Amino acid sequence: MMEMAPILVTLKLASITTGILLLLGTPLAWWLSQTKNKFKTTLESVVALPLVLPPTVLGFYLLMALSPNGFVGSMWAYVSDSPLSFSFTGLVIGSVIYSMPFVVQPLQASFEMVGKPIQQAAYSLGANRFDTFKNVVLPLSMRGFLVAITLGFAHTVGEFGVVLMIGGNIPEVTQVLSIVIYDHVEVLEYQQAHAYSAGLLAFSFIVLFITYSLNKKLMVRL
Amino acid sequence: MSSIKIAYKTSLGKFDLDVEFEIPGKGISVLFGPSGSGKSSVLNHLAGLDDQSKTQYSKLELNDVVYDDLENNIKLNPWQRKIAYVFQDNRLFPNMTVQRNIYFGHKRRQSTLDVNEVVEKFKIKDLLDRYPDQLSGGQKQRVSMVRALLSNPELLIMDEPLAALDYQSREELLPYIECIHKELTIPIIYVSHDIKEVLRLADYIVVMNQGKVIDKGELAELCINQPLLTQAEGASFILQGEVEKIFSEEMLLQINCENQSIYITGKDADPGDALRILIHAKDVSLCLSPAGDSSILNCIPVVVDSIKDKSNGKYEVIAKLGEQLIVSMISYRSAKALGLEKGKSIFAQFKATAMIK
Repeated sequence: MMEMAPILVTLKLASITTGILLLLGTPLAWWLSQTKNKFKTTLESVVALPLVLPPTVLGFYLLMALSPNGFVGSMWAYVSDSPLSFSFTGLVIGSVIYSMPFVVQPLQASFEMVGKPIQQAAYSLGANRFDTFKNVVLPLSMRGFLVAITLGFAHTVGEFGVVLMIGGNIPEVTQVLSIVIYDHVEVLEYQQAHAYSAGLLAFSFIVLFITYSLNKKLMVRL
Repeated sequence: MSSIKIAYKTSLGKFDLDVEFEIPGKGISVLFGPSGSGKSSVLNHLAGLDDQSKTQYSKLELNDVVYDDLENNIKLNPWQRKIAYVFQDNRLFPNMTVQRNIYFGHKRRQSTLDVNEVVEKFKIKDLLDRYPDQLSGGQKQRVSMVRALLSNPELLIMDEPLAALDYQSREELLPYIECIHKELTIPIIYVSHDIKEVLRLADYIVVMNQGKVIDKGELAELCINQPLLTQAEGASFILQGEVEKIFSEEMLLQINCENQSIYITGKDADPGDALRILIHAKDVSLCLSPAGDSSILNCIPVVVDSIKDKSNGKYEVIAKLGEQLIVSMISYRSAKALGLEKGKSIFAQFKATAMIK
């Protein structure tokens, strides 16, 4: 029997993570695309780390940081009664870090594609920096946002290692699809594992298909 | 009268840019010089788009408003300057229609110009719903001029706006540029390294080389002895006039220049058109009385203004036709035979040369 709870937890986690990543990632990607600061390369490398690190390494350090004795966890304890580790909030924090490069990199690339010259044209027509960003750069970066949202969302849906390390396996709270599949396989319930897996496969394909179709449509104009 | 004062010193890597000049607050002033002489850097500085960290000295005043003053730490942001920029590569917003493109600056600067009038004048009415990628190179540049104009500038700067276009489109666009300064009276700083464009458009010229201003002045003055302008042809001058009559079967135009009729070869003109004619001093001969039976069509009365010894067996004689100047190169012997002196009334003869506008 297929339960809905893991699906809902997964979708909720992916949506919230993508939302937060857009809020954090957009200014970060913008800064990276514009700056000549010497720390640019350092920051770029840090953002890209989750691409190469085993999720267990990231999960391990996150677990340390989020635990009630850890740096972030102890601060959290001041403002809130609940612990961070093995909570949905902790899971969101982990996912944001883990999926960061999948949002920041496409955004940065698309901001760089827009380029200085067109911004200068906007300046010379009386638009200040924010005005130019909002009315020239953002509309010209729609494809970058589409890719960033898709990859950010899909990557969070597909995450396993980090969730296992910091989220545990609490049904209806932190139990996401990838973990449920693993659980079923562990106890040889292939039928159930198959149902979830096939669903996730179809879902991922549809999301990517829609994205690439939209991307093509946007490309006609941009 | 208003004017634009520019002083700017910065490093361009290969050499230092160090310029200081003042240009009239009307008409077309051309920054002329070979590629890589720093002309575009001056424009970027005017627009406030330069990298200030390298600036060693800067002072910019437009109509008595200080835009830049490094010593007093003044540097207006690009969007605060009433300077509109027409770029060589048009830089239209690709995601916006022509209509939205031209309203971009208009909305933000509360332009008093009548949009419809400018749109009519630049013949872009039929293009308003198109996107930039549906326009030809010449149309794009026309739209970008309209976009710049509608942002209500007190100064229009143009960086080789025709350089990326084919010959046909260039010829089509030139009249629009002339129209800007004649009918809209917005001063223009125009960067070019194309001598034909300069002769046709310029009222005032600043000649640059290797980051320095090497000459400046009215077009008529500079034509006479600025080697970068006259090039191999030697001293030249420009006569300005209006088309009076067109003899199409003879391919001849009759031009009224200071109430004298001048004939030049040509047919693509309408009566009333303002024209510029470039004439080389070596093609002009002087005589004391009008020669009746000559193959040379033009023979007009002038008054000798100055005689300069070029120490190569020739005198450079500058004579006045009304307010305009005529230059002739004549030998020592001829000068003596004619008894030339300042104030003497004589006749200048020259062939029907091709027009430049």
